[in-house]
Amino acid sequence: MPALASGAPKPGRLGAPWQAVILLGPALLAYGVFAVLPFLDVIRLSVMRWDGLSPHAAFIGLANFRFIFTEDAVFWTAFGNSVIWTLLSVAIPPAIGFALALGLNQKLRGRNALRAMFYLPVIIAPIAVATMWRWMYDPFFGIVNSLLTDAGLQRLIQDWLGDRRVALYAVFVAYVWQTAGFAMVLFLAGLSNVSPTLLEAARLDGANRAQCFRHVTLPALGSTITVVIVLSLINSFRTFDIVYGMTHGGPAQSTQLLAFWAYTQSMQLHDFGHGSAIAVVLLAVTALVVIPYLRWTQRREDAA
Amino acid sequence: MATVALRDLRKSYANHEAIKGVTLDVEDREFVVFVGPSGCGKSTLLRMIAGLEEISAGDLLIDGKRVNDVGPAQRELAMVFQSYALYPHMTVADNMGFALKLAGVKTEERNAKVAEAARILQLEPYLQRKPGQLSGGQRQRVAIGRSIVRNPKVFLFDEPLSNLDAALRGQMRIELARLHEQLNATMIYVTHDQVEAMTMADKIVVLQAGVVEQIGSPLELYHHPRNVFVAGFMGSPRMNLLPATVTGADTNGVAISGPGGISVIVPVEPGSLRAGTKVTFGIRPEHLTVDPNGTLNGRAMIAERLGGLTLLHVELQDGTLLVVQTDGADATRLHEPVRLSISAPHAHVFGPDGLSAEHLRRNPLTV
Repeated sequence: MPALASGAPKPGRLGAPWQAVILLGPALLAYGVFAVLPFLDVIRLSVMRWDGLSPHAAFIGLANFRFIFTEDAVFWTAFGNSVIWTLLSVAIPPAIGFALALGLNQKLRGRNALRAMFYLPVIIAPIAVATMWRWMYDPFFGIVNSLLTDAGLQRLIQDWLGDRRVALYAVFVAYVWQTAGFAMVLFLAGLSNVSPTLLEAARLDGANRAQCFRHVTLPALGSTITVVIVLSLINSFRTFDIVYGMTHGGPAQSTQLLAFWAYTQSMQLHDFGHGSAIAVVLLAVTALVVIPYLRWTQRREDAA
Repeated sequence: MATVALRDLRKSYANHEAIKGVTLDVEDREFVVFVGPSGCGKSTLLRMIAGLEEISAGDLLIDGKRVNDVGPAQRELAMVFQSYALYPHMTVADNMGFALKLAGVKTEERNAKVAEAARILQLEPYLQRKPGQLSGGQRQRVAIGRSIVRNPKVFLFDEPLSNLDAALRGQMRIELARLHEQLNATMIYVTHDQVEAMTMADKIVVLQAGVVEQIGSPLELYHHPRNVFVAGFMGSPRMNLLPATVTGADTNGVAISGPGGISVIVPVEPGSLRAGTKVTFGIRPEHLTVDPNGTLNGRAMIAERLGGLTLLHVELQDGTLLVVQTDGADATRLHEPVRLSISAPHAHVFGPDGLSAEHLRRNPLTV
């Protein structure tokens, strides 16, 4: 009788719920302590006034939010920068990663070595990437300006991280270098699922390369594209280390991003209330963008 | 419709030759089947015709025109793949109409052609479904429909039935044969299943290791295999092949002495066969009979009872094994002595080079 077999565990054996608890417990515990608790705590702190040291935190309602929205000019600068940053992050690294994946999906010599090379920046600590690029951008000793000089392009020489018109984009280039490999690997995995037979069938049906790509490759990559876009979006919202390592938000807040500003308010200015309020806004924006997108793609895939 | 001609077609890779010079003529409206064990090059050959594999040497002619350098779509062929290769995100109708859409055929005309193909293949109720919502047999029909819609010069099939279960395979075999009749189409069909080859083909091409072993009608291959390989490959259960020695040869045939007391005069042209020549003696299971007056003594070790007929595995006195096809009602008991007789006119003699000695009288169905 199947009902009995699944309902009552045999003596001496743990039932399925207990197995689940044992197997999932450690991970859930770590997740709870390091993700859920801080998450709830940030929401709690966003309605408090607290300097991070004193034993008492005072409840002040939505005053922190009122402050960051109406009085904190840097918040809006950081918000604007974050919007630019996010738009670029969702467009450019996935596009480059996709191009790399298409290239390295061809049969060519040394493609595994090339794949490893393009993925390498992903596994370097962001702070190390930041340091490296800071050196490269150094106006006097950096390789970027020195290469421009060698190429006879002196007029393009900049104080890359010191000029507030270019600093954000200079940091973004370093960010692209670090993150494009990640998108590439996901796209390579997706491309390996594109059936070669299907491409052959399309060729026999008279499709040229572009049409094969449009009607076979691209549809097969649908879910991969969703994953890459969502991850790029989330990663861009929480960009922190690279700004920390390269510019600290400067010059003149020109590379200030929301995540970094939340950190600065909390850890540098010891105003955990403001910092947490910024973090909550960031969370809300992320959720507002990501959840509808996921629902939309889900619906589309269900329809397919 | 069209003819296809292969002229010494070759395919070489870096370190080996996969197709070693195939010459073949496919007539207009002919159903040609490439058959052979896996790895024999039959799929490669088909893909070369389709334009999916480059031709290393030799000529491929469609309707008399050399098409070696013509792209797959411009050869005006359609191919049905083993894996169906349907576009998963398109409906059945869009799958079938895709080639026409790419060719810029107007929606109305396209819909009419798709509807016609759907009618022929009884796919009308499924036109708006996605391939994922169809059974294997329905998907295969859609794949066939996709090729019909294009009205190609030649249909190519690459093991189209091997993903289907046995019952469906039998049904699809009949449907394909009917379709061939109905469309009056030239078809080239690859399979490793010799039942498919025997039942559907006008002409069978037996391939092994990139070489054509024999080309002929199904019954020709069955009754007059050119060599030991074809004899062993075509026919199920397999032909019994035994080492034997020629004891004499004249105009009446060749006298053979084989293991287990086999001694028979086979009515074949002696050619270069002389007394003492080592040969291979071949006899199909249905040409051996359980016969109380038979000359061979043995014991039935295994009986495969298929209902309508029975396959006896008989061990002769010296241990030689023979498969004998008998009636379903055969009452032979296992492990007890049994006598067999050989139908000499149906036996085969293969010389030391593996080639078959020509029968003095050919089977009337193959003349």
